[in-house]
Amino acid sequence: MAETNRSLALIDLALQATEAYDRPDLSERLRATRRRIADPDIRVLIVGEFKQGKSALVNALVNAEICPVDDDISTAVTTVVKYTSGQPSVTVVREQAVDGQGESREERTDVDLGDIRRYVSEAGNPGNRENVSYVEVRLPRRVLSTGLVVVDTPGVGGLGSAHGQMTMGALPTADAVLLISDAAQEYTAPELRFLSQAMALCPNVACVLTKTDLYPEWRRIAELDRGHLTRAGIAAELLPTSSVLRQVAARTNDAALNEEAGFKALVGYLRDRVTKQAEVMDRRSASRDVQSAVEQMSQKMRTELEAQQDPGNAELLIARLKEAQERAENLKKRSARWQLTLNDGFGDLTSDIEYDLRDRMRSIQKEAEERIDESDPAEIWDQFADWVHTGVAAAASTNFVWASQRARHLAGQVADHFVAGGQAALPDVDRISSRGLGGQVNPMVRPDMERYRFGQKLFTGIRGGYGGMLMAGMATSLAGLAMINPISGGVALVLGVKGVKEEKARLLAKRRNDAKTAVRKHVDDVSFQVGKDSRDMLRIVQRTLRDHFQELAQELTTSMAESVKSAQEAVRTVTTDRERRIADLEAELGRLAALETQARELVAGDPQR
Amino acid sequence: MTTTAPRQNLGSRARSLLRAALDEYGDSPRAAGWLRHHLDRFDEPLRLAIAGKVKAGKSTLLNALVGEEIAATDAGECTRVVTWYSDGPSPRIVLHPRRGEPRPLRTHRDEHGGLVIDLDGTDPETVDRLMVDWPSAGLRTTALIDTPGIASLTVDAAGRAGEFLTPEDAPGQADAVLYLMRHLHAADARFLESFHDRHVARATPVNTVAVLSRADEIGSGRLDALISARRIAGRYRTDEKLSTLCQTVVAVAGLLALTGRTLRQDEYLALRALAGVDPDVTEAMLLSADRFVAPPPSVVAALPDDVGGAGRAALLGRLGLFGIRTSLALLRQGTDAGAPPDAAALAAELVRRSGLDELREVLATQFAERRDLLKARSALLAVELVLRREPRPAATALATEVERVFASGHEFAELRLLAALRSRAVGLPPEVRDEAERLVGGAGTRTAVRLGLDPEADAATARAAAVEALQRWRRRATSPLSDRTTTDACGVVVRSIEGMLVSLTST
Repeated sequence: MAETNRSLALIDLALQATEAYDRPDLSERLRATRRRIADPDIRVLIVGEFKQGKSALVNALVNAEICPVDDDISTAVTTVVKYTSGQPSVTVVREQAVDGQGESREERTDVDLGDIRRYVSEAGNPGNRENVSYVEVRLPRRVLSTGLVVVDTPGVGGLGSAHGQMTMGALPTADAVLLISDAAQEYTAPELRFLSQAMALCPNVACVLTKTDLYPEWRRIAELDRGHLTRAGIAAELLPTSSVLRQVAARTNDAALNEEAGFKALVGYLRDRVTKQAEVMDRRSASRDVQSAVEQMSQKMRTELEAQQDPGNAELLIARLKEAQERAENLKKRSARWQLTLNDGFGDLTSDIEYDLRDRMRSIQKEAEERIDESDPAEIWDQFADWVHTGVAAAASTNFVWASQRARHLAGQVADHFVAGGQAALPDVDRISSRGLGGQVNPMVRPDMERYRFGQKLFTGIRGGYGGMLMAGMATSLAGLAMINPISGGVALVLGVKGVKEEKARLLAKRRNDAKTAVRKHVDDVSFQVGKDSRDMLRIVQRTLRDHFQELAQELTTSMAESVKSAQEAVRTVTTDRERRIADLEAELGRLAALETQARELVAGDPQR
Repeated sequence: MTTTAPRQNLGSRARSLLRAALDEYGDSPRAAGWLRHHLDRFDEPLRLAIAGKVKAGKSTLLNALVGEEIAATDAGECTRVVTWYSDGPSPRIVLHPRRGEPRPLRTHRDEHGGLVIDLDGTDPETVDRLMVDWPSAGLRTTALIDTPGIASLTVDAAGRAGEFLTPEDAPGQADAVLYLMRHLHAADARFLESFHDRHVARATPVNTVAVLSRADEIGSGRLDALISARRIAGRYRTDEKLSTLCQTVVAVAGLLALTGRTLRQDEYLALRALAGVDPDVTEAMLLSADRFVAPPPSVVAALPDDVGGAGRAALLGRLGLFGIRTSLALLRQGTDAGAPPDAAALAAELVRRSGLDELREVLATQFAERRDLLKARSALLAVELVLRREPRPAATALATEVERVFASGHEFAELRLLAALRSRAVGLPPEVRDEAERLVGGAGTRTAVRLGLDPEADAATARAAAVEALQRWRRRATSPLSDRTTTDACGVVVRSIEGMLVSLTST
C-alpha cells in the first residue's frame, strides 16, 4: 500500500506541473494512470473441476464460512470476496444486457450474511434460477487488505466444457489463476490443457493441491503432478494445502498446524508474487508516464534556453524545430507507418483468426459427419455429443488464446514503428527512448481488456456472453437429439417383425440427418459467437492502440509547436532580460529534472525486465 | 419362492443359431473363429467389466469383490492394460499381444500374497490384454475385467480402455459393466460430461450398474461419510437422466471393503491398542494423514509402544482415515450387537459399512439372474455382426432366424421394454412406469420381486397379486386412449405376468 501511495504522490506532483505549464493534454493521461493505480483490485481466479475443494479453500484463506461447502451440492454462482475496513457485507449482483450492445446494467441488492447459501449453492439456487450474476462478499481481513479479490468460480461441467471455456475468457483480466485439484489423483488431461492455456493468457499461474489431510499419499501425487508440469513445459508452482487443517489452526491458534496446512506458502505466493508484481507494474507505469510528461514539458524550455543562450543560432534552431514539428504532424496522419501497421495488421489478424476458427470448426464438423455416417447416432449419441462439445470448446479456446497472443505481439510492433517515427520527429533522440513510448503498451493493453471483460459477463455465469452462448447451443442440440435417443430399434421390434427392416433403415437415415443438423447448428452457433467475440476483442485493442498513439502524437506536436514558439519569442527578448530568463529557465528545468529523478527512483529497486 | 419366469430355452436357441452360423461360415476362418469364440463364451462365467475414470478405484473394488489383493493398486495411475481375472486351478498370467502368439508371463507374489504383474519390458501399447488365472471362489461365477481409466493422462491407456469398451461395431467383450464414478454434478444435463459411459460395452441401462466409489472420501473421511455418500447415491438413483443410463447407483468404499475382507490379526491388535488411547489424543492424530503417521511429540508420548510410526503408516494405507476412525469407534463403543468386536466381527462390520454387501446383492439380482439372457444377447449380436460383415445368400435364413429370436424371445422383449421405460420412450405416468419396470424384472427377476411382494410370501398370495396385476394391465393394454407404443409396452407387461402365473400354477 505504501508503495502505491508513493506512486500516487509522484503522479500528483507531475499533475501540478502539467497544470502549471498549461499542458492539459498531458494531464489527461496522467489522470488515467492515476485512476488505474488507485484501483487496488488484484483479481485472483480460483478455478478447477468440481468437488475439488475450491470453496473450502476460499473459506480457509479468509478464515470465514463464506462459500457453502457440502459433500454433495456444488457452487452454482461465482463468489467474489473483497476487502472492506468496515462491517462484513454480502451483495447479490444481477447484470442485464442493455439492448444487446455489450453494455450492461448492474442491479445490486444487499442481503444477510447468513443468506448467501440461498444464492450461491446449487441447492439454494438450482440452475441459478435467481438469475444472479455474481455475489460480492466484503470482509475485514488482513489477507485481503492489499486489494486481493478472490473469485470462486463454479466448477460446473469441468474444465474442458463450455463452462470452462468461459473461465478461459476471463483469464486475460485476472492477475493470477489458481488451479485447484485435490490430492486424490494426479492431473488429468483437461487440467493440464487448461494450465498451458492459462500460462499464455495470465501473468501468474499456480497449482494448488488440496485436501492433503485426507490423502496419505499426497506427496506422491504432488511429485507426479510436478512431473506432468515439467513434461508439459508449464513453469507453475505447486502448493499443497489443507483447508481443514488451516481452519483448525485458526481456531486453536496453532502456528505449527498453520504451517502444515500449507497456507503460509499460499498466502506468501499471493503476497510476494502476485501483489508485488501488480505493484511493480503500477510503479513502472507511474514512473514512465511521469518521465514522459516531464520530457515533453522540458522540451519547450530546453529549446528556449538554447535560443536565449545563443540567439545568433536561433534561426537554425527554429528551422530544425519546424522540421521536427512537421514530422510530428506526420505521425498523426493516416499514412504514418505505425498507422499502416496498425490498420493492416489488425485487418490481417481478424481474417486470420476468422479463417483459423472456421477451419478448426469445419474439420470438427467433417469428422463428426463421418462418425455419424459410420454408426447409429442413437447408440453413440452421449459419447458423441460429449466429443463434439469438448472438441468445439477446445477449438474455440485455442483460437481465442491465439488471437490474444497475436494481438499482443502486434501491439508491440505498432509501438516499435511509432517509436521509430517518433525518434525521427524528435531532436532529442536518446531522451525519449523506446522504453518511454512503446514500453507503455503492455500495461495499457490489460486495462483495456478490462473494458472488454465480457462486460463482467464472466460473472454472468449461465447467462449472457460467450460461455452462455456455447451452453445455450449445447442445450438446444442436446434437446433436439433427445428425440432420436430412445432405442427406437427396440420399440420398432416390439411392433412386430414385418416391415421392421425398412422401418429400421428409414429411422436410421432420419437419425443421421437429425444428428448432422444438430452438430451443424451447434458449430454454427459457437462459430458465430466466438467469431464475434474475437472480432470485438481485436477491434477494442485496435481502437485503444490507435487512441493511445494518436494522443502521443498530439502531445509531441504540441510540444514541438510550443518549442518553436518559445524559440521565436526568445529571439525577441530584450538583452537585459535575457540573463534573468536564463536563470528562470534553468531553475524550472532543475525542478523538472528533480521530478524525473524521483520517477526514476520509484522503480530503482525493481528487477529489470 | 425361487421360481423364475419361464425361459423358453432362450439359451439353447441362441446356441443352435451360433452352431448353424458356424456350419454356414466354416470356410471363412475369421467368421468361424469369431463364432466359435462366442460359442465357448456361452459356457464361461459372466464377464463383468469394471470401468470408470482414472483413479476411480477400479482395481481396489475388483480386489474387494474377489476378497484378495490381486490387482495392483497405487496412488498413481497404474492399470495400463486391460486385464481379465478368472478362476483357474493355479496362478497363471498370459499376455496376449496385438500381433503374434500369446505368451505366459512369470507369476510372483509380493509379501502380502498379492500378484505382481511384470510386463517383462513389453511396451503396454503392444499388449491387447492380459489373462490372469487365479484360484479364487470370488471369481468362480463371474470373471472380472479391469480396465485402464477413461480420460487418463497416459493417452494410450485411455485409448486402450476406449477400444476395449467400444469396439467399432462388435458386441462388447463384457456381458455387463460396473461403472465407477467419484462424484457427479447436480441435476443438470451436463453431468453427462462426467459420465463418460453409455458406449461402454454396448452398455444399455440394463447391463450397467453405477458405483459411487471411494465413498468415504466424498464426506472427507468423517464418521458419517458413508451415510452422506449413500444419500448422494440415493439422489442419483432417482435422477431422471441417470436412470436412463444405468440400473441403479450404489455407494461403496472400496478400500474399506477390501481391508474388511482381508483384515489381519496384527492389524486388529494395532487398532485395539490405539482404541485404548485417550480419544482426545487419537482425535488430534486423526486431524490429518501426516499427523497420524508422525504426530507432534506431545502426542507420541501418550501412544502405546507397540504401534510405531511404520505400523501406523501401514494401517493408514490399508484403511484410510475413515476406516481408522470407524474401527476405533467400533472398538470403543461396540457394534450394534453390544460388546466390542473381535477381529472377525470387526472385519465383518467394516465390510457391512463399506456398502460392498449392497453392491453384491445388486450384482446378484441384476446380473447373475440374467446371466443366460445377457450371454444370449452377446451371442446373437455376434451372429448378426458376421451376417452383416460377410453377407451371403445362404445366410438370409439365418438373418431371419436371428431377428425372430430377438423379436420372439420374451426376455428380450422385457429387456427392450426396460430400456425403453428407463429412457422415457414410453408415455406412462411415473408410478405406473415404476410398476411396469418392476413387473418386467427391473429390480430382479424373481417372481416375488417382480410382484413387489415380500420374498417369503406364499404362493397363494403371489397368485392373488399376479391375477390382480394381470387384470389391471390387460385393461391398460386395451384402452382405446393409449397410443401404439404404450399399448405394445402394456402387452409385454401382460405377457410377463402371464408367465409368472404359469410358473406359479405349475409349482
